Amino acid sequence: MKAKKGMAFLLAVMMLVTMVLAGCGNNGAGTETTGTTDTEVTASGKSSGSSGGVTEVTFWTLNTRQNAVDPIVEAFNSQNKDIKVTVAYYDTDGIKDACKVAASSGTLPNMWFNWGGSLGGFYADNGLCYDLTEYAKKNDWENKFSAGVLNLCQLGGQLSGYPTSYNVLDVYYRKDIFAQYGIQVPTTFEEFEAACATLKENGITPISTAGLNGWHVMRFVELLIEHYAGSELHDSMNTFDSSYNCDAVVQALAKYKEFCEKGYFPAGFVTADPNDTRMAVFSGTAAMDIQGQWYDGMIIQEEQDMNLYDTFAFPSGGTNRLSAFAEMTQFNAKNTDAQLEACMKFMDYYYSDENAEKYAEYYNMPLPKIGAKMPEGQPNVAKMLATAETNGTFTITDQAFPTEVADALFNVQDAIANGQMEPAEGAAKIQEAIEAYQAANK
Amino acid sequence: MKNSDNKRDWGAYAFMLPAGIIYLSVIVVPVLYSLYISLFKWNGIGEKEFLGLRNYINLFRSDPIFLISIKNNLIWIILTIFVTMTVSLGFAVILNKQFRGRTFFRGFFYFPCVIAPIAVSIIWRWIYNPNVGFINQFFKAIGSDFSQSWISDPKVSIYAIFVAALWQAIGQPMILFLAGLQAVSPDVIEASRIDGASGIKQFVLITVPLLKESFVIVIATLIVSAMKVFDVIQGLTGGGPNNATQMLSTYMYSQTFQYNNVGIGTTIACVMVIMMLVVIVPYVSFTARED
Repeated sequence: MKAKKGMAFLLAVMMLVTMVLAGCGNNGAGTETTGTTDTEVTASGKSSGSSGGVTEVTFWTLNTRQNAVDPIVEAFNSQNKDIKVTVAYYDTDGIKDACKVAASSGTLPNMWFNWGGSLGGFYADNGLCYDLTEYAKKNDWENKFSAGVLNLCQLGGQLSGYPTSYNVLDVYYRKDIFAQYGIQVPTTFEEFEAACATLKENGITPISTAGLNGWHVMRFVELLIEHYAGSELHDSMNTFDSSYNCDAVVQALAKYKEFCEKGYFPAGFVTADPNDTRMAVFSGTAAMDIQGQWYDGMIIQEEQDMNLYDTFAFPSGGTNRLSAFAEMTQFNAKNTDAQLEACMKFMDYYYSDENAEKYAEYYNMPLPKIGAKMPEGQPNVAKMLATAETNGTFTITDQAFPTEVADALFNVQDAIANGQMEPAEGAAKIQEAIEAYQAANK
Repeated sequence: MKNSDNKRDWGAYAFMLPAGIIYLSVIVVPVLYSLYISLFKWNGIGEKEFLGLRNYINLFRSDPIFLISIKNNLIWIILTIFVTMTVSLGFAVILNKQFRGRTFFRGFFYFPCVIAPIAVSIIWRWIYNPNVGFINQFFKAIGSDFSQSWISDPKVSIYAIFVAALWQAIGQPMILFLAGLQAVSPDVIEASRIDGASGIKQFVLITVPLLKESFVIVIATLIVSAMKVFDVIQGLTGGGPNNATQMLSTYMYSQTFQYNNVGIGTTIACVMVIMMLVVIVPYVSFTARED
């Protein structure tokens, strides 16, 4: 009996020692399986590195691109025996949260997808992403990427990412529905309102939108603000140099309220999922959706007839500017030279013309490179980029705003849609959030 | 003899040590660290600025969303205690009776409990869809023109989400009540029947008091789950519309991971813990004292 107890005691001590030693041997990295894929990755940049002559790097990106990224990674790994890339996938809002959590715990991957503006700026401001300024100079990025997109990747005084796309948003509409009800493409705001009225009279929801997370509805509200404020004031408000509590914003919110009351958006849109907006357009129950040029790729993915879709610039009355934003891949500031080189090699492969052409519907085309090809079978891409070139662009609001201010705008959108708030109060609330943010970040 | 006892104690400690270390490192230390962080202004990465109790004071004094979250959590707790507990007790009583297919129905009503809450929110998102959702389509099918934006209307959204959560939440307390009911001696029930008690009177005066231990565990776990409700809210409304369904957990999440206000986020977490302790500790100690 005593021998048994002694053995049990010994085993317990051994187990404890093993656990402690195992803990010491672990450099802080764990494995993580995302909710959307079975891909197992080392979550931390620390954990990856050189192993037996192989440089291992981790990459976090959007699950909407998985059908392209999986085969690309597989091909890259088989062609480059000295590099191993592992991927984890997240949905649009999931990747924002996952990166924030990883940043706080020092477990960011070697490279991750991100947007420009305040979202990517957080990592630049806190020294978490690699400053590519010198790398870009050495590798002549000036002659590789378009100047506009490089400018959008300049955050916190540094070049904070590898530009992967330059996106502009336009009004996608169903040509067949417009033709059926004799609606011409609106060239003035009044014509746009008249088109909405005609559609509504005929049982078609004019604009498909969804308010869960706020940003999809914001795409319409920011166009109204652009319409009433004009480009100069709008830009000035978005950099917080002018107050949001002004007549233009009140008028824009009043028009948004009017559109809500007239039923120009789907019933219950306030908490609808943005992923579902295209269902209404594809099924023909809604006629318009404010989307970026990637929507052509979605139309192909969902096997819809591309001939039914066209775009027009929202007639804001001035220059009819489009909202725009950049996407990029950011690199962990702690990457070693070998890891950075491996990441860059992978990015160049991922965003090569060959792969972009092969998996065009999973890219936001065209690539933001000088002389990039326009994707075949995606007619609206070239059209929208040409419109953006002619009309000009403004930074999309949720990238221009810090997250807490963007959330204040989203709350105002909800409250006005539900009749809980008047437009004047909404404008004041947004400005209040801006001032609170500025006070907290002096 | 004394030496022998000491040896036994050391053995017990050795066995407890691994679990103790895990508990300390993943529960106790993080809790204490959170309490520490709540005293600072911190974005999770940069320098910490000591604020003392200012995070707590600011939340209660000048953060209307935080106060809405507390109100919503209290509504959720009340609904949970009265509705979830009543419904699950009702199911347990019915499923404790002898009838054909009883085992099937026990599994059937427990089934939603094993579904991930985020999946529950996706299912109910479609049920509540104002255009093609089951509920509005049902009213349409029976000839009613009643239509409701269930989760978009701030007046009803929290209750609509509660119904979705209830669908999933009844399984666990039902099983606990069922276990409690099966522990009630048939002799006691029979004796009360002979003494003239029957039906509701028998249930209220005999069965319910004998389920006291089940009630303690069910109420405690329901309050804890009501305080930390997150997934179903995040999946259905994200705390909206206009914070109508904002809970302490969702607001804590926004502050911590979206706004990078880690100090404020941990302050909210600490308030949640204090609220839970304030409700649960007196309740459990009171019922324990009665024993």
